[in-house]
Amino acid sequence: MRPLLTPGRLVRLVLAAALLMVSVMAACCMVGTETVSLKAVFAHQTPGQPNPDYEIFVKIRLARVILAVIVGAALACSGAVFQGLLRNPLADPYILGISSGAGLGAMVAVMLGIQWTLWGRSPIAVFAFAGAVGTVALVWSIGRVAGKYHVTGLLLAGVVVNAFFSALIMFLTSIANSSQIQTTLFWLMGNMTEETWDVLWFSGGLVCAGAVGLFFLAPKLNAISLSDSDARNLGIHVTAVRVCAFGMAAMITACAVSLSGLIGFVGLIIPHAIRLIWGPDHRLLIPLSALVGGTFLVLADTVSRVVVAPAQLPVGVVTALVGGPIFIVLLIRHNRCLGGRP
Amino acid sequence: MGPQWDIQTLSFAYKGQGVLIDQLSFSLAAGTFTGVAGPNGVGKTTLIHLLSGTLNPSEGKILLEGQSVHGMSPASLARRLALVRQHTDMSFGFTVEETVLMARTAHLDWRGFESTVDRDRVHEALCLTETDHLAHRSINSLSGGECQRVFIARALAQDTDVLILDEPTNHLDLKHQIAVYDLLKSIQVDQGKTIITITHDINMAMQYCDQVLLLSPGYDQKSVIGPPQDVLTCDRIEAVFGVRVMRLTHNEHTFIAPIGQCR
Repeated sequence: MRPLLTPGRLVRLVLAAALLMVSVMAACCMVGTETVSLKAVFAHQTPGQPNPDYEIFVKIRLARVILAVIVGAALACSGAVFQGLLRNPLADPYILGISSGAGLGAMVAVMLGIQWTLWGRSPIAVFAFAGAVGTVALVWSIGRVAGKYHVTGLLLAGVVVNAFFSALIMFLTSIANSSQIQTTLFWLMGNMTEETWDVLWFSGGLVCAGAVGLFFLAPKLNAISLSDSDARNLGIHVTAVRVCAFGMAAMITACAVSLSGLIGFVGLIIPHAIRLIWGPDHRLLIPLSALVGGTFLVLADTVSRVVVAPAQLPVGVVTALVGGPIFIVLLIRHNRCLGGRP
Repeated sequence: MGPQWDIQTLSFAYKGQGVLIDQLSFSLAAGTFTGVAGPNGVGKTTLIHLLSGTLNPSEGKILLEGQSVHGMSPASLARRLALVRQHTDMSFGFTVEETVLMARTAHLDWRGFESTVDRDRVHEALCLTETDHLAHRSINSLSGGECQRVFIARALAQDTDVLILDEPTNHLDLKHQIAVYDLLKSIQVDQGKTIITITHDINMAMQYCDQVLLLSPGYDQKSVIGPPQDVLTCDRIEAVFGVRVMRLTHNEHTFIAPIGQCR
């Protein structure tokens, strides 16, 4: 039996998840090929004299851990929202073509060999972001034209656009040279790099704002996850809520994708796992998905940079390899529980 | 005071199809129990979707307490009328209590959490429909009859003056059919709610409804509304449904028994 969601329970669970996330972040900052002494990190800084411990801890590890939190939170949070909006537990943040759109953008940037940067962002990131947002807009308008069964129309449009753009990516790959292919492939597999603090502040703020906005739509998303017409009879302006929720979820996904490439699995299994344990109420699902998603990706990224050190695995490989089995165990345990009930 | 519902020359056609509802006019007083009957495909479900504002009429007006249903926002409409559909698919495992709590969505404040009033309403609704023992079960694990009662509970928890139901006794056994109609009748009598329900069972309509709206497909036969005794005559049932029937009376109750199809 699970108790009803009250503000108190929500706050307790969210605080616990936040605490877990912060401790995991701290622990992961300590892990790596170089041993870092905390004492040296916080020691008095003498100007002009480099402090290697501080450089590694703050500029490299902390920046990367925060990046992983931002990306993981964005993907898991938008995954939860997409699953609810599309009433499909198999949906993930990439289902409406964001992945292939962003991939195509990244590929084009690599192929054109663009050198300029925008607000310190590489052309790959800028093109990927534009590709992702553009694709969602395209899928959305196709879905609208496609017919009255809006959800099915959207899903089909997503599938078709995904296939089409994937074909374009394959075409570009076939005419690209090997160094271009190498760059794109690494990006497509999902890859974390150290970002500047400006980038972290900006994207962190954007993802936070998106998650908070989505949280306030949560009661309405609950009703929409039953059916559109039902939600309307319960007094919800379905189209308005849908547009807002899609817009915010797509925005934070595009942000995550432009930071780290295509990291699979986080957006699918984290919301699922939360639902299995704490139920499908979006008021709890959205904040917990964000926090647990962030924690999970920090762990996965730490594994990816430690396990074959000094080389690094693409983090997307780790999320799938680690996340898959964990998820299967959860699913089996959950089904056993269900089987025990009359 | 005028009638609660005033339907004026209502017409409706789905895109690219012929006219389904043609120039229908009727009015309903507050606190009455109305059955909507008629053969398959005559537009019963369409009619209640028009009444609940889900569909827009091609012509004519639907006035609820003098206000057009289609000018109202979804939220203000949801505070006036609740709808129970035939099926609602559940993709996610909400519990019965969580499902019924969703009825209060239109009443929530900006924080999006239920107040104690909301919780009390939900508890009352669960008790009235005798589903309180199911409160913590997943909605997907319920039988058809239990599920139907839960969605009636949700409509009650919405705390509206009007309750509209689409064949609430569909898939239910005899006992649960009677239980649902008894429940609806007691809601009408005790709480003064207006009840509009689609029914295929003309005997149920005869016993429980104050009035019956018999929708008719043909042009020669007009749709009629009135007390069930007057509306459900042998001739009219023959003309509308194409079935010959007998009317039997026992202890001042009238029953309709089908004999066979019309030749």
